Amino acid sequence: MAHEKVNGCVILKNLHYNVENNTWVRVIDDSTVVIGMTDIAQNLAGPLLHAKTKKVGTVRKQGKPIATVESGKYVGPVKAPVAGEITKINDALSGDAGMINRSPYNSGWIVEMKADNLADELSNMVSGDDAVAAYKEKIERDNIQACEQIEGADTYD
Amino acid sequence: MDDEDHEGKKILVIQTHGVATPTRTYSPLFYAMAAAAMEMEVMVWFTMDGTNQLKKGEAEKVQLVKDSNVNLKTMLEMTMDSEVELRVCQQSLELWDMKPEDLIDGVEILGATSIIDLALNYDHVMYF
Repeated sequence: MAHEKVNGCVILKNLHYNVENNTWVRVIDDSTVVIGMTDIAQNLAGPLLHAKTKKVGTVRKQGKPIATVESGKYVGPVKAPVAGEITKINDALSGDAGMINRSPYNSGWIVEMKADNLADELSNMVSGDDAVAAYKEKIERDNIQACEQIEGADTYD
Repeated sequence: MDDEDHEGKKILVIQTHGVATPTRTYSPLFYAMAAAAMEMEVMVWFTMDGTNQLKKGEAEKVQLVKDSNVNLKTMLEMTMDSEVELRVCQQSLELWDMKPEDLIDGVEILGATSIIDLALNYDHVMYF
């Protein structure tokens, strides 16, 4: 099964996760990654009104913001799970931040980055069943409410 | 100016409104969190009526968003979690007959001369 739901929140097993910062990484090649917010992160933030990504060419350290997102009840950074340079941004988000809510793992991606040292940084993330277990623990520990259905959740398999 | 140019700048938010006017308490904290999310150094300075929301047991009585569990206490906690510094005016504590031990955790007390120094050293002051 390519994905699992924990408390209704979708976790794709083929992605790598920084659980603390609630971001996912999709590996494109040995240094290129696509990054986004997890289903849990978008659910916690609530219906997003604005998403502002950093510009292409911005160089980020790991943990520094690649975007800021805001809803009526939340505003916060999306923190870079890897160090490197932003090579593409999801332009569609500037006019439709709700895309992150509706499709956090696909059309709601945030940025693409060229990572400085991807192999090392991936080793500090979790994927597959380890990611599911880590999020189960996080959801219970932080008493995270159930996620609502996102687009395509039943087609990820 | 690009937002990248703003990173590292210092914003001082001065809050003079308190528990008697709930609708005036939310936005300053929200702006402070937004600035922190944009990698700015942010401090909220509570003075005058703003002081009373920092008294233990008061902020949780102020409901800010209908049909949600967000109250002023949760907003203050979220603000501190965003690494925004909270400071309160020494003289205003006396105005509300508050002692240092009456303050919620995480708030430091500063005097009037400190606020003048802070205001001069910050890049921008937002006054509410």
